[in-house]
Amino acid sequence: MRSTVPWLRPLVALVVGGVFFIPLYIALINVFKESRQVASGAMSLPIPPTFDNLIRVLTSPDSLFWSSLRTSVLVTSLSIIILTVLSAMLGHYLARQNTWWSRVIMVLLLCGLMIPPQVILIPITQVLKALGLMSTLQGLVLFNVGYYVPFGVFVFSGFMKGVPRELEEAAAIDGATRWQTFWKIVFPLLRPATASVLIFLGVWIWNDFLNPLIIYGPREGTTIMTGIYKSLGQYAADFGGMFALMFLATLPILVFYLLLQKQFVKGLTGGATKG
Amino acid sequence: MAAGTTIHHHKPGHAQARVRRRRPGGKGAGLWHFLSFAAPGTLIYFCLVVLPITLSFGYSLTDQALLRPKTHFVGLRNYQLLLQDETFLQSLRVTTILTLIVVIVPNVLGVAIAVLLDRRGWLYNALRSVFFTPMVISSVVISVIWTRILADDGPINQALRALGVSEPPGWLSDPDIALYSLSSIVCWQMLGFCVVVYLAGLQGVPQELAEAAAIDGAGPARRFWSVTWPLLAPALTINTVVLLISAFKIFDHVKVITNGGPGTGTTASVALVILQEGFVENRTGYASAEAVVMLIVIALLSVITLRVLQRREVQL
Repeated sequence: MRSTVPWLRPLVALVVGGVFFIPLYIALINVFKESRQVASGAMSLPIPPTFDNLIRVLTSPDSLFWSSLRTSVLVTSLSIIILTVLSAMLGHYLARQNTWWSRVIMVLLLCGLMIPPQVILIPITQVLKALGLMSTLQGLVLFNVGYYVPFGVFVFSGFMKGVPRELEEAAAIDGATRWQTFWKIVFPLLRPATASVLIFLGVWIWNDFLNPLIIYGPREGTTIMTGIYKSLGQYAADFGGMFALMFLATLPILVFYLLLQKQFVKGLTGGATKG
Repeated sequence: MAAGTTIHHHKPGHAQARVRRRRPGGKGAGLWHFLSFAAPGTLIYFCLVVLPITLSFGYSLTDQALLRPKTHFVGLRNYQLLLQDETFLQSLRVTTILTLIVVIVPNVLGVAIAVLLDRRGWLYNALRSVFFTPMVISSVVISVIWTRILADDGPINQALRALGVSEPPGWLSDPDIALYSLSSIVCWQMLGFCVVVYLAGLQGVPQELAEAAAIDGAGPARRFWSVTWPLLAPALTINTVVLLISAFKIFDHVKVITNGGPGTGTTASVALVILQEGFVENRTGYASAEAVVMLIVIALLSVITLRVLQRREVQL
């Protein structure tokens, strides 16, 4: 049954979406406004647009943006690569083995999905201190791997159910080792799962605030999000600069998300078990 | 290809006579398999999650603190103190209010917007992306944007003044309002998640059912309540549990927007209080007791919610 007023739905949708978008619109236009323009009309378009804010952030003498960008890129990429490899293998192992200890590991991992970081951060700082990894990049990466491995395993082992066991058996008969079978035959079929793990974990780790704040600490520098928090005071009177910094901090993960999302959809439509 | 044909006939849930698995090697191969595939991930998980959880329970029974030279076992005393600790009880009240708002509002608005956007076409695709964007943006960035928008001299109050309101509310500076402003910001950020999950649920609602109901004379409201809404039960379950857990552990927004204020602890969430106690006051034993209470509350809430909603899914 069609609606009697055909233009009503698109109109309502457009208005609701428009209202929802206002905060992002304000943030976006403020990147291209001079600070005194920001203080006056908040909703007006930035005409003429200025790139001073972006240039000021990119060339600031303390190079806060560049150093924290470097840290964030390193932490995020290392974490998600290690997480993908480890959780794909563990997920494959747990999905294929049916022993009591593999079931115990699975249950323990599933419990980990809902544990908030606040609950474990105090002991974690002590574990990392004991390992000599507190306030280091490696320590933060190690924490990310431990904390997010349940999510990776959850996605990969769920996806394994759609990968026929016969493929692996055929490869084993042909003389492939387990390692070869997994990386050459199974892993390529897991592409949609890999893409979704990379998307979710990439976004979470890039945007993470609490864990880098506590584990990485301010002494060794900051990730991009703790960097924004740290410079809130510095930019208190410079709205344009603040919005430019936030824009630059969001851009990489937004691009990453959009690029992989395509891959994710392609993987889904391509079909994982095309014989 | 023989393997190919078996794959195409493979149906999930179909009982298969499974070929006995060939194990190259013996027990040694099984151990090697475990060590190479499962051990690295499991070991890191145990060291960084399972061990710390156990330690948290242990610390919560001690008076461990940074400046205390010797740590003593104090039994359940920390938990007794918690019952009279106004800061902690206040944070539980604050977190409960925030969680209630964040579980209800995005669920209600989410299903409405999902029904609105459940059409094909570029406009609806674009709007879906608009609603999902805040989920990809850091809560720090979202918090700073909203702090600016809700500031006493920010855009909203400028607009209100222009409309003739001489004293617009201090959205984030009035102790009576700040918690609700904060909750609204979290709702705004989580809304996109609910919309996406409900949209996915709507894809699974067969068009024929709604059409059949329409032929039987059911109006749009009746069709929604009797046909669509029951079939969205799994989406409701996912949204409610995810919102519940995310809201109860809220930290980033509180830290950046209000830091617990204005006034004393009017917006201080449990997570903020735990970290304050653990890393600023450095009373790690006491903070661990708070953390254990938080973990138990979250676990109980999510298990009960999951049970209730899943039972509902079966009944419908």
